[in-house]
Amino acid sequence: MRWFSVVGILFLVGCAESIQPTLTDSEWTGRVPAGFPEVVYPEDNKPTKLRVELGRRLFYDNRLSGDGSLHCGSCHVLSAAFTDGRTTSTGLHGIAGKRNAPTLVNLAWMKRLMMEGGVPTLETQALAPLHDSTEMAASVMPLLVKLNEDLLLKELTRAAYGRDSIDAYVVTRALACFQRTLMSGDGRYDRYKQGRKDQLNEKEVRGMNLFFSTRTHCSECHSGVFFTDMDYHNIGLAVEYADEGKARATHLPEDIGRFKTPTLRNIQLTSPYMHDGSIASLEEVITLYNQGGHEHPNKDNRIVPLGLTEEEQADLIAFLTTLTDWNFVQNKDLLPLMR
Amino acid sequence: MNRSFCLFALVIISLVLQSCKDEEPTPVPGKSSATITFDARWEGTPFQIQQVYLDDFGNRIRCDKFMNYFSFIKLVAEDGSEVLVKDFVLADYTGDNSYTAEVPSGKYTALKFGIGVDRDYNKDQDPAQYPSSSPLSVAGSQGMFWVWNTGYIFAKFEGKADTTGTAGVELLSPIAIHAGDDFSYRTFTSQPFNVTIDGANHVFAVHINVDRIFSPDQGNVVNIAQDAITHGGTNPDLTNNFMDNYLAAISLEP
Ligand code: HEC
Ligand code: HEC
Repeated sequence: MRWFSVVGILFLVGCAESIQPTLTDSEWTGRVPAGFPEVVYPEDNKPTKLRVELGRRLFYDNRLSGDGSLHCGSCHVLSAAFTDGRTTSTGLHGIAGKRNAPTLVNLAWMKRLMMEGGVPTLETQALAPLHDSTEMAASVMPLLVKLNEDLLLKELTRAAYGRDSIDAYVVTRALACFQRTLMSGDGRYDRYKQGRKDQLNEKEVRGMNLFFSTRTHCSECHSGVFFTDMDYHNIGLAVEYADEGKARATHLPEDIGRFKTPTLRNIQLTSPYMHDGSIASLEEVITLYNQGGHEHPNKDNRIVPLGLTEEEQADLIAFLTTLTDWNFVQNKDLLPLMR
Repeated sequence: MNRSFCLFALVIISLVLQSCKDEEPTPVPGKSSATITFDARWEGTPFQIQQVYLDDFGNRIRCDKFMNYFSFIKLVAEDGSEVLVKDFVLADYTGDNSYTAEVPSGKYTALKFGIGVDRDYNKDQDPAQYPSSSPLSVAGSQGMFWVWNTGYIFAKFEGKADTTGTAGVELLSPIAIHAGDDFSYRTFTSQPFNVTIDGANHVFAVHINVDRIFSPDQGNVVNIAQDAITHGGTNPDLTNNFMDNYLAAISLEP
């Protein structure tokens, strides 16, 4: 199937002079993981095969960064569940405070984006690379000119969005469309929930029970099938926060240190942890929670010393590794085409 | 002709077309119309970008960029009804900022506009939804937009200052006033006037007296020596003071 498309594309490029190539679009046939709710897609950006394909190409296209050095996949790497293993990275999003690149899974269901929730949709979020280069009004134009020199991208654009040129609308729609297909919900935990009791061992089951207990409160914030309440909390990560989190957007003192609850899916693969990448391992994360975090006036009142034994802490970690979706992180359809 | 050359030419042509300003209707003889012009001044003379000025606090200021949005520029008619001249404008004070619209003949008593982007069009909006001829679009907004905290930057005043006020000293302290977020929106309503527009064009000249923004005579102090950097809410005091002074620095020749 992939070979077929590669050949097809070479054909298109080779024949651009002589024939008018026509691509026809069709419905996106990907499936929502079992147990997940249906996605409510934006009216003007329902997924189709070619929209997703265009988005995937743009996601891995260096031309999107001003100096041609980066693409989205430079910091959002599939094998690390779309994180990059670095403590912090600054780049395309133009954030003043340095942050750890978050995973990009199940974004189709997220209410708002970025760690302080300042961005309403994936479409708007995808403006960042275009917009950071617009400080000088002229420079968004060369970026689009470069993309428009690519005949194949233009052909895809025509078929996917019915537009003759690749403009900001197309770039943001296609990137959002691709990112909505990044659905991950096939960990051993999920299979266990679907009735395959052999998927978890005793240790993992003990960890699961602790995770969902009122002793730890973990599942009150890391809740539901996405393991996030999509809300903002201060967990006492630090006594003083260099990055003020939600307060950056709201300017309210009670929001200092509050960050969007991250999903825990594929958490085993996304170290280092926390908004600033300050915690290297899951062991250290659990140690922090077990101690009840650091003192901070805004700390959530569920973050208290837990009194977990060594073994219980190990059980919790064992459970967290059952949220890894190996089929997702090895899905070649989510990689750039020519690799 | 070579096909890729054609395409390239097309792209260039369309970009050139896109970057042209909106075609403003020119006044038509015999028809009633109103032109609103915006210009920036320093002590009564045209304010020049990149020129060094001495403010009333004794700071030497050089402005490298001065831009702001205006929303819903309206004339108020004698009966209280409002006539829209222009919905959104991004003024940059390097060229001509004048906007003309046909208006019903009659008596007008006030001019109104917002400084910034109206609340209903500001937060959580997607600039990619507008054609590039719109000042609210990706290209048209010319960087006057924050993605991370989605919304428009209402006004930018960027440059360098020498806070010792000594002639010849190099200007080294940065000025970066980026006002935005709904809290920094301001509405200007002129003093009442009496203008009859009947079968001709009438020009309303709005002046931004930049020297008044940086003056101790204003209730709110914008003294570059004390405070010169804000990005919307990062320094709400400076943002608010700047916008209040900006509003107070407007004068109108009806
Ligand atoms: C230089 C590294 C880097 C690059 C390149 C990069 N990102 Fe990110 N990305 C980050 C970081 C860091 C954050 C966290 C920002 C925040 O929340 O303030 C982030 C956040 C995001 C989010 C928000 C996720 C959430 O859960 O709220 C999305 C969506 C996203 N990036 C998509 C993209 C896309 C699309 C591209 C390419 C156009 C891209 N990123 C390129 C580092 C990067
Ligand atoms: C009050 C809500 C809340 C509770 C309770 C809570 N968390 Fe968290 N968790 C968060 C927030 C918010 C963050 C991000 C904090 C930051 O980056 O500053 C986080 C971060 C994490 C991370 C790092 C995620 C990443 O991608 O960097 C892990 C792992 C984690 N929590 C596991 C747990 C476990 C296990 C428990 C129970 C012992 C728990 N959490 C309890 C809200 C909560």
